[in-house]
Amino acid sequence: MTLWEFLQSRQDILIAQAQEHAGVVLVSMGIATVIGVLTGALTYRKPRLSSLAISLSAAALTIPSFALLGVLIGPLGLGYAPTVVALVIYALLPIIRNTVVGLAEVDPALTEAARGVGMGRLRSLATVEFPIAWPVVLAGIRVSTQMIMGIAAIAAYVGGPGLGNQIFDGLSDLGGVNSTNRALVGTIGVIVLALLFDLALVLVGFLTVPRGVRTGWSPLALFRRSLRVV
Amino acid sequence: MSSEPMISLRQVRKMYQGQARPAVDDFSMDIAAGEIVVLVGPSGCGKTTTMRMVNRMIEPTSGSIRVNGRDILSADQNQLRRSIGYAIQQVGLFPHMTVAKNVSIVPRMLGWDRRRVEQRVDELLDLVGLGAVEYRDRLPRQLSGGQQQRVGVARALAADPPVMLMDEPFGATDPITREHLQSEFLRLQKIIRKTIVFVTHDFDEAIRMGDRIAVLGEGSLIRQFDTPENILAHPADEVVARFVGAGASLKRLNLRRLSDVAWEPAPGRKPPASLPADATLHAALDAMVAAASTQVGVLDADGRLQGLVGIDTLMRAIGDTAPTADPRAEAALEGAAGSVPTEGAA
Repeated sequence: MTLWEFLQSRQDILIAQAQEHAGVVLVSMGIATVIGVLTGALTYRKPRLSSLAISLSAAALTIPSFALLGVLIGPLGLGYAPTVVALVIYALLPIIRNTVVGLAEVDPALTEAARGVGMGRLRSLATVEFPIAWPVVLAGIRVSTQMIMGIAAIAAYVGGPGLGNQIFDGLSDLGGVNSTNRALVGTIGVIVLALLFDLALVLVGFLTVPRGVRTGWSPLALFRRSLRVV
Repeated sequence: MSSEPMISLRQVRKMYQGQARPAVDDFSMDIAAGEIVVLVGPSGCGKTTTMRMVNRMIEPTSGSIRVNGRDILSADQNQLRRSIGYAIQQVGLFPHMTVAKNVSIVPRMLGWDRRRVEQRVDELLDLVGLGAVEYRDRLPRQLSGGQQQRVGVARALAADPPVMLMDEPFGATDPITREHLQSEFLRLQKIIRKTIVFVTHDFDEAIRMGDRIAVLGEGSLIRQFDTPENILAHPADEVVARFVGAGASLKRLNLRRLSDVAWEPAPGRKPPASLPADATLHAALDAMVAAASTQVGVLDADGRLQGLVGIDTLMRAIGDTAPTADPRAEAALEGAAGSVPTEGAA
C-alpha cells in the first residue's frame, strides 16, 4: 500500500486520533495556562519564590517523558489521566517563566502611576500589568503548545489518546506491511497539528494583544517574538 | 490664620529600616488652599519622600498629616489617592490605553456615568491644550514628550481633586518645552486654583512655579520657607545662598514684570528696544544690553508705545527689600517652626 492508499483506507481512525490528539493538548494547555499564569502572577514580586517556581518546573522538564509517564501509571493508571498530568507538567515552565518575565518587565513608572491614581494591587495587575505582559505570556503559551504536541505522541505508551498510537503501532510492527506508513502518518499528523495550533495562537495574539503594546505583525517580528522565549 | 490650611503636616517622620538617620525628620508645614508650595533641595534630601507621604505612597513612621481637614492616616489608601492628583516625572501613561482612557481612569474608578466621563475628558484635553477631537483616541506612544506630560497633568486633574502632588512633572522634557509647559501650567492654575505640592531639584523652576518655596536640607530639614522674592533677597543661611546659586539678583528680575514698576512718559521717538508690559524685568535688561541702550520702551497689548523704563528703575527694583507684605509669609514662619528663622520676611 502506498502512503496515499493507507491514508484513504484509515481515514476515519486517523481523523479520530488527530481529534483526540488535539483535544488532549488543548485540555492540557488550558490547565497549564491557568496554573502557570497564576503561579507567575503570585510569585513575580518575590524573586526567591519565582525562581523557585521556575527551577522546579525546569527540573520537571529534564525528566524523560517515558520515565514520567511510567511513574504516573502507578497513581493514575493508564489512559487519559496520566497523559494530561504529564503534559501539564511539561507545559508549565515556559508559561511560568514568561509570566514572571513579562510582569517583571513592566515599567516601574506604570505600577507607580497605577498606585498613585488609587488602584489596588489586583486592579493594577488586571488592568495595567497583565495586559502589558500579555504578548510575552502568549509567547510562552505558544512554545509550550509546540512542545507538548510532540510529547503527547509519546503518551500512547501509557495508553493515551492520539496520533502517537499510529507511531507506536508502526514501530512495534517493524517490517510489517504498513509499519512505515503508520509511523510516517503519525509523525506528519503531529507536525500538521502543531502548525495549525501555532497559527491559531498567532490569531489569538492578533485579536487580544492591545494596540498600544503591539510591536508589529510583520513576519519578521513574529519570528523574533517566537524566538524570544527559550 | 483665618482659614484652616488645605494641607497640614505635623512632626512627620519617616525612618527606613536599617538606616541610621531618618529620611524625613520632624517635618511640619501648613499649605493654604490655592497655593503652590515648591519643595526644593539636593537629591536625596527627602523632598520626594515628604511629598509622597501626603497621598501615602509612603507611610510616615510617625506624625500627623491632614488634607482638607481630614486625617489621611485613617483614610482608605486607594480612596485617598483617587482624591489627590498625582503627576510624576516619568508620566506613567498606560501604553495600552488611549489618551481618553488614561485621562478617565480615576473618574471611571469613581463610577461616573459614561456621558459625564466623556465630557470631562474632552474638557480636560482642551484645558491642557490638546484638541480633544484630535487626541482623544491616540495612544501614548503617538504623542511627543511634552504632549505626554500634558496628558499626565490632565489625568491627575480628572476627578477635580482639590490637592495635587507633582514630582518634577516637567522634568523629562527639553528646556524649551519645559518652560512652555511651566508657563502654561501657571496660566491653568489661575483658573483651577489647586493646592499644589511641587517637588523639584531645580531652583530656577522653583522660582518660576512657587508661591512659596521650601528649601530643604538633609532629612527634609526646612532651611527656609518663604516667597521666592524673599529667598532670593535674604537667603536664611550660607547653604541656602549657595543653593540659590550665582546671579540671585538677576533671578529676582525674573519675578517682576514691566507692569509692576513705574514708567516714565513715552518719548516722541522710538526707543531702540521695546517690550510688551508683561515682559519680565530680566527680559528688559537683556533687551537693553542687546540694544546697547539704558532704556527700554513699554508696549501695550496693541503694540503701541506707552512708556519708558530706564536701567535705574531696574536697579531700584532689585534694591527694594521685601515686596508687599504677603499674608502667607506669616504662615511661613509658623509652618516652618523649628527651622532657621527667616529674616526680613514681612
